[in-house]
Amino acid sequence: MSAYLVRRLLLLPVVTVGVTLLVFSLLQALPPASRAMLFVQRPEQATAIQAIIRKYELDKPAYIQYWHWLRGVVHGDLGYSPSARMTVAQAIGAFFPATVELTLCAFVVIILLGVWLGTKAAIHKDGLIDHLSRILSITGYSLPVFVWGVLLLFVFYGQLDWFPPERLSLPASLFVQSGKLRQYTGLLTVDAALNGTWWIFWDAVRHLVLPVATLTYFLAATLVRITRAAMLEVLGQEYVRTARAKGLLEAVVIARHARRNALIPVITLSGSILVGLLGGVVITETIFNFPGVGRWGASAALQLDIPAVAGFALLIAVVTVVANLVVDLLYSYIDPRIRLR
Amino acid sequence: MKSSGRRGFVFFVTLVLALSLVGITTGQSVKNPDTLVIVRIGAPDSLDPGWAYDVYSREPIAFMVYEPLIFYLGGSTSHYIPMLSTNVPSAEDGTISKDLRTYTFHIRKGVKFHDGSTLTPEDVKYSIMRFALVDRDSGGSFVVLTPLIGRDGTRDAQDKLIPTVFDEMDRAIQVKGDDVVFTLKEPYSGFLSIMASFSLVHSKAGVVKARGWDGAKATLARYNNPADPSKMELFEKDAGTGPFRLTSWNRSTNQIVLERWDGYWRAPAKLKQIVFKVAEDFPARRLMLTSGDADIIEVGYADLAALTGAPGVRIVEDVPLLFTQSFFMNMKINAEGNPDIGSGRLDGNGIPPDFFSDIHVRRGIAQAFDYASYWQSAWRSKMTPGNGSVPKGLLGYDARNKWYGTDQTKAIAEFKEAWGGQVWERGFRFTMTYNAGNPHRIIGTRILKENLEALNPKFRVDIRSLPGPSYFPNIAARKGTLYWLGFAADFADPDNFVSAYMHTGTNYAPQYGYSNPTLDKMIEQARTETDVLKRAALYRQIQQIGYDDVPVVYLGYGTTPVAFRSWVRGWYTNPMFSLQWYYYPIYKQ
Amino acid sequence: MNTALRTVTGRPLSLTATLVVLAFLVVAALAPLLAHPRPGRDPYLIPTAGFEVEPRPPNGAHPFGTTENQFDLYYGLVWGTRTTFKISLTVIGVSVLVGLVLGSAAGYYGGLIDEVLMRITDIFLAFPGLVLAVVIVAILGKGLDKVVIAIAAVNWPNYARLMRGEILGVKEREFVDAARALGAGNLRVAARHVIPNAIFPFLVFGSLDMGNVVIVSAALSFLGLGTELGYADWGQLIAFSRRWIMGAPGHAFQYWYTIIFPAAAITLFVLAWNILGDALRDVLDPKVRSRVRTKRMPGRV
Repeated sequence: MSAYLVRRLLLLPVVTVGVTLLVFSLLQALPPASRAMLFVQRPEQATAIQAIIRKYELDKPAYIQYWHWLRGVVHGDLGYSPSARMTVAQAIGAFFPATVELTLCAFVVIILLGVWLGTKAAIHKDGLIDHLSRILSITGYSLPVFVWGVLLLFVFYGQLDWFPPERLSLPASLFVQSGKLRQYTGLLTVDAALNGTWWIFWDAVRHLVLPVATLTYFLAATLVRITRAAMLEVLGQEYVRTARAKGLLEAVVIARHARRNALIPVITLSGSILVGLLGGVVITETIFNFPGVGRWGASAALQLDIPAVAGFALLIAVVTVVANLVVDLLYSYIDPRIRLR
Repeated sequence: MKSSGRRGFVFFVTLVLALSLVGITTGQSVKNPDTLVIVRIGAPDSLDPGWAYDVYSREPIAFMVYEPLIFYLGGSTSHYIPMLSTNVPSAEDGTISKDLRTYTFHIRKGVKFHDGSTLTPEDVKYSIMRFALVDRDSGGSFVVLTPLIGRDGTRDAQDKLIPTVFDEMDRAIQVKGDDVVFTLKEPYSGFLSIMASFSLVHSKAGVVKARGWDGAKATLARYNNPADPSKMELFEKDAGTGPFRLTSWNRSTNQIVLERWDGYWRAPAKLKQIVFKVAEDFPARRLMLTSGDADIIEVGYADLAALTGAPGVRIVEDVPLLFTQSFFMNMKINAEGNPDIGSGRLDGNGIPPDFFSDIHVRRGIAQAFDYASYWQSAWRSKMTPGNGSVPKGLLGYDARNKWYGTDQTKAIAEFKEAWGGQVWERGFRFTMTYNAGNPHRIIGTRILKENLEALNPKFRVDIRSLPGPSYFPNIAARKGTLYWLGFAADFADPDNFVSAYMHTGTNYAPQYGYSNPTLDKMIEQARTETDVLKRAALYRQIQQIGYDDVPVVYLGYGTTPVAFRSWVRGWYTNPMFSLQWYYYPIYKQ
Repeated sequence: MNTALRTVTGRPLSLTATLVVLAFLVVAALAPLLAHPRPGRDPYLIPTAGFEVEPRPPNGAHPFGTTENQFDLYYGLVWGTRTTFKISLTVIGVSVLVGLVLGSAAGYYGGLIDEVLMRITDIFLAFPGLVLAVVIVAILGKGLDKVVIAIAAVNWPNYARLMRGEILGVKEREFVDAARALGAGNLRVAARHVIPNAIFPFLVFGSLDMGNVVIVSAALSFLGLGTELGYADWGQLIAFSRRWIMGAPGHAFQYWYTIIFPAAAITLFVLAWNILGDALRDVLDPKVRSRVRTKRMPGRV
């Protein structure tokens, strides 16, 4: 294990503590009474607020408060969320699996589609796919995501009735709610597959199509452009030309030589794609009434549900930090040069 | 694995094609014929009848899972039919005593709870005791406590349980054989209406089995004022007698499922299942209705333009409510750290904290407001003009009562007199507030701003929206300047409205710094007056004071639109239904 | 710089983009002439033609029609151009300033300062842009100033990182060593030689970011966390269309104007700045190119 990796792992707790510090300092902008709910695990009456303020020393210097709060956070006590009507920890348990499922699906689709389109665009430079992907990427980033989301919903649900909103259709949701589906992971597609209930599986997939499409439309653009650029660069290089000259089939050249080398920028980018996804779910889940943490965070923010907002932010940040670490490790594994840095 | 996956894919493609064909060709066939799907905007706090008070908590359970002793007759708010009682108490047959203080209900025999046990008069007493004595903060217990024992809560100023409150209730509700007899503190003509909405009966054994309150005095303190709704025994459990059983509530999707109960004491309901869903975003709700996945969606007037004309969708526009919409002018604004009063002085850049205590300011504002355009824009003209706190449909409402009209000249004349002419000379500037997202108030505040600023270029009004959870506490802290608030009936009696709006003992009046001892006396007198004509006359006088003093501008009495699939049959409504629906007679065809 | 300018204006596409940006600037500057505010009123509050909820199509008095709640689209877009420049220039100005100071300190001094500053940017970058912005606005409340604070807080770390990278690159070059050999102090070297050489990528990054800021502010508006109701702000105007994008039953395009005009303004603005940024970047060497590209992702929503 190289020094770089050790350093990278050591930094993880540093950044995580920093994340809690940042969230905490933002919360300091609120009066003590609004912060009281961060410290309790059940709804409290207005009369109890003063006692909470005293108990957790919310009128004392910030570092004392931070200590109290951090202790809770470490134990998973993130406060009570009035908008979800449960503790923040319970709410994360209830909403996060849906987001994980959505994010993972979108991630896979974005990577596959992005690399495929990027490669095609590079090979057939200035061809149809190249132009299409360019138009796609331009429109993808030049309008707010909700416009596309609502339009997709209108066409594919309102007009065609193919892909409905929410996470399951009525019979499937009743089946799941009656407890007949054994839940292992909370990811409906995975659980349905494990249970062998394929009709639930396909129902869940059907409901994932639109949110995944919206996120993909939005986030695949950069990947397509980067892959294309990398492919063009690689295709122009000596060894590829040599391989070609040797008479290797074009497909083999691309698969074996060019694409593999072009994958490095893709991995670098995948970290920021994940970050983009975790930001994107806030709006996407709201539009498609998808019961994940993004929808919860968005409605909590509107209702001044401070513990929920703080817990949501912490969750997303920690996931991002860990995901970035994984990407870095992967990257250094693939590209040894990085370890020297 | 692989082959079943492929088969699944083929199935999926076929399904998609089939569905799209169905969508195109036979859009009118009834989707989910035995199941009613209702998509609402909000989620419940608790499904325990001892806790539920807001519409989203009450709608799935009130009258569906738990039933009252008596129920509203059709759309009427003053005529009743027997339910778990076999009689509607009346003076004629002596079930209402001569002094109008004792009400006797003959409890129906042979009614079964969903667990198979039989309803007893003891269960009835227990249920009402539990609802009254659990008395959580900001709950509805006062509704029952007030007429029975003359208190509006079970705790004293130090927030301690009042020791005698159990005995008082125990005396007020008595089981006599097959009867339950209520003895009121004083005659109160709203009592039957309270019973129709709030006597939701649940099984004592069911609650006790779930380690709930055993109905004893000694254990009450432990169950009084619970902070956490989810710790209450019937939070997501069922112990009712109604036509539907509560089967499950998914806390992450907030999907609630009710199933028909075949042991119901009347004919079983026609629907097999009722499913309540939540979708906050209108586009999603709209499409769920137009595609037929939802049978009923919650809508407001603002949504109608984008919904009207959809095939297979029925919209009814002016469904009556018992609801008064108004804005308040705070005469004693709490100036502490209050950003909404500007400089805090009458210098053209602010207002003094007692700005609205001058009657001319209030009258000026009441006459500057363009009521007609408010009714038309915010309520599609489906609002009844307001002239006091009592809404149309209740005793005490009289279309002939006086109210201000829009009159710019008169408004200017009032403002010229206000604060000895200083208001007109120096102008003012303040910020009015409303709760974000409320479509009527978005419109109303903007109209008032335009109206006031049109009177004098030195008049400046800013608008600030606050999220609900900080808006209401802001008002409670007396920091509201000119703020927008309405009142919806707890029960169908004018006292509910008049007390809430103007009596010093309730929460509204202190919030806007109003106190009128003479008026308080009149309200109390009207509360116990038994002669209908005299009572009506008293309310007329009370409304007259509301007009003369004008601390509150009554904008009108609301109605609401209702949107549902035209295959939903058997609908009728009553202003006291939580969201305009009673699902027992509903079927789909 | 001169060659850069020529490159940018030399190509038809980037010339068009430049003209579009200039046109927006002109609209912003001439807003009071293009759309007269009512005297004595805050010109940034869009006047309304009546108070009905349902939008009305373009007509003589309202060339672009009125959107939800009768806010005049033409007026809102014209004055919203000012708001857009106000938001994006302030956000980018603040980000550039903070990024410049912190990034060059980190890059120039290295060591512990570098370590600490970079970890701070790590912390900020641990939040997807929109998430952090949502948290900040939820805590501070609605309003233009809060939106600016929120987006700036999300944005500056990118600039700090970029600056640091540039400084590290420039620092090694000969002329810096030469200046130092001549006895110039640290600060002087930084101010006179290093920063001016590193600033060009900032320009590229900033112009690519202009559009992004608008998109984020629109997302905040959609979530109900944007400017106060009726404030002339593109984000709010496009968020108004949410209820109307689908049209009325049977008339999908009934309310086309509520989405088309704000969408056109935003798209044009974002595209123009992107093309401009791309063109500027092409002038730079290709190494900068990929760096600037990949860094753009996190803020996206």
